[in-house]
Amino acid sequence: MHVKARRSLAAAATAGLLLLAGCAGDDLSSSGSGDDSSQSSDQGALAISGQSFPEAALVTAMYDALLTDGGYDTTVKLVDTRDIYMGAGQFPESIDVVPEYVGGIVDFLNTTENGANAKPLTTPDAQESIDNAQDLLDQKGVTLLQPSEATDTNAFFVTEQYSEENNATKLSDLEGEDVTLAAAPDCQGRPDCEGGLTDVYGIKIEKILPLGFASDQTYQSVLDGESELGLTSTTDGTLEQQGLVLLEDDKSIQPAQNLVPAISSDFLADHPDVEDILNPLMAALTTEKLTELNGRVAVDREKPEDVAQDFLQQEGLL
Amino acid sequence: MNLFGDTWNFLTDPSNWQGPGGMIELLVQQLLLSLTALALAVLVGLPLALWLGHVGRGGFLAINISNVGRAIPTFALLAILVTADFPGTQEFGPYGRAGLATLIALTLFALPPIITNGYVAIREVPDDVKQSAVGMGMTAAQRFFRVELPLGLPLIMSGVRLALVQVWATATIAAMVAGPGLGRVITDGFFRSDYPKGIAGAVVVAVVALVLELLTAGLQRGVDPTRRGPVRRADARTEQPVGS
Repeated sequence: MHVKARRSLAAAATAGLLLLAGCAGDDLSSSGSGDDSSQSSDQGALAISGQSFPEAALVTAMYDALLTDGGYDTTVKLVDTRDIYMGAGQFPESIDVVPEYVGGIVDFLNTTENGANAKPLTTPDAQESIDNAQDLLDQKGVTLLQPSEATDTNAFFVTEQYSEENNATKLSDLEGEDVTLAAAPDCQGRPDCEGGLTDVYGIKIEKILPLGFASDQTYQSVLDGESELGLTSTTDGTLEQQGLVLLEDDKSIQPAQNLVPAISSDFLADHPDVEDILNPLMAALTTEKLTELNGRVAVDREKPEDVAQDFLQQEGLL
Repeated sequence: MNLFGDTWNFLTDPSNWQGPGGMIELLVQQLLLSLTALALAVLVGLPLALWLGHVGRGGFLAINISNVGRAIPTFALLAILVTADFPGTQEFGPYGRAGLATLIALTLFALPPIITNGYVAIREVPDDVKQSAVGMGMTAAQRFFRVELPLGLPLIMSGVRLALVQVWATATIAAMVAGPGLGRVITDGFFRSDYPKGIAGAVVVAVVALVLELLTAGLQRGVDPTRRGPVRRADARTEQPVGS
């Protein structure tokens, strides 16, 4: 009995090790260079990588569906942070397409090239931000396609009740008010967060509670009346259901964070049709539509793939 | 990009230590939080553990219940306490936002080493010593205060010291619920990708943990009634017969 039990334990342990080894070998570079599978489709292999938070997963699923429909044999890798797919040998070397945000990729290239305190290249205008970063993009070998109208920036919310009582629909309505702000720990001093609210809008931020970006604690703090203002994104699909409303950024403290496809420049030169496949999607997406789709994932617990498929068919893109 | 150099620069810049939100203020907040939680745990746990050790019963249950407590992630416990209506996230005096929830979580975290060591310290006083005490006609209270407690004290104290160092380092989780303490420096540093700041916070926590450990070890040596050095020399001279 003992021997048997020990043997099966050993077998289980070995199997575990093999699995681990399998995982370790299955890295991004090997999935991107699947030349042997290109016979099965017309256009060859295409590797997509993106971040794993719900909205990015949703948009990645849309890319995947459209590019597969366009004849590409796609592989998708979702990762936790931008640093991972931007690492050495990843994008744009072995990864071909990444669903990006204008400000996100521009800031990343700027800070990795010019240091953490580099002068920001992003402005509230998407095209201007891209133009500012054109040299960095060329140097990296990345081409940004046409940005979408849909944009995902920081945004600030209050309760519906607060909005009605104080007649506040935009951030400038809070000028001179004393408020407590529930936000991400890095909010203090940032021009797109506490810094902008104080300097541009003249809001008196008495205290910042570092409870997280669009986290449950942040929502709860505002709902409990502990904070007046909470930090989330423009495409947060959960607000309405919680009785919360966004205040408009009427003085534009947010840099452009429009959705934009980032393509390896070499890959795009060989496959110019990728642009024709993704441009209609960028044209179809708006902040409102993205918010609604995010809500279906976050509130109704639908799968990003299903929501993506649904949307593409509705828009006549598939 | 010299991480350690930048960390050193952060630590040696006085402006990071002074003023509201400076590391001195945060350090004092965290010390207050840790010592209060430790005091609560000692008040609740130690009498129970010592009594169980004295009567030599029920210890199995006490130790195992408190060890189950050890297995519960303190952060999970804190998250649950904060979500509940009580204790919730209310400000609690100098303990800041969600102060009561943080204190409860840290107190429960401090209990296992205190209870386990307290029980074992008294239980494991050698039987022949206990029997001699009985033979000398000592009452139960006399046996406990004159024999068991002095002999068990080193082990009891090491449990308290262990709890203090653990609670001190763990008290950084208060930052997760926007509470006070040096955890703020760590979370802030990592959220801003300002790694030198995050590491500096961790270094300060680690150094203070060492200081606390050394201080309490020194304190323990100072008050230990069965301490070896000088006592043994007194024994050797046998000027005062020990067992008269």
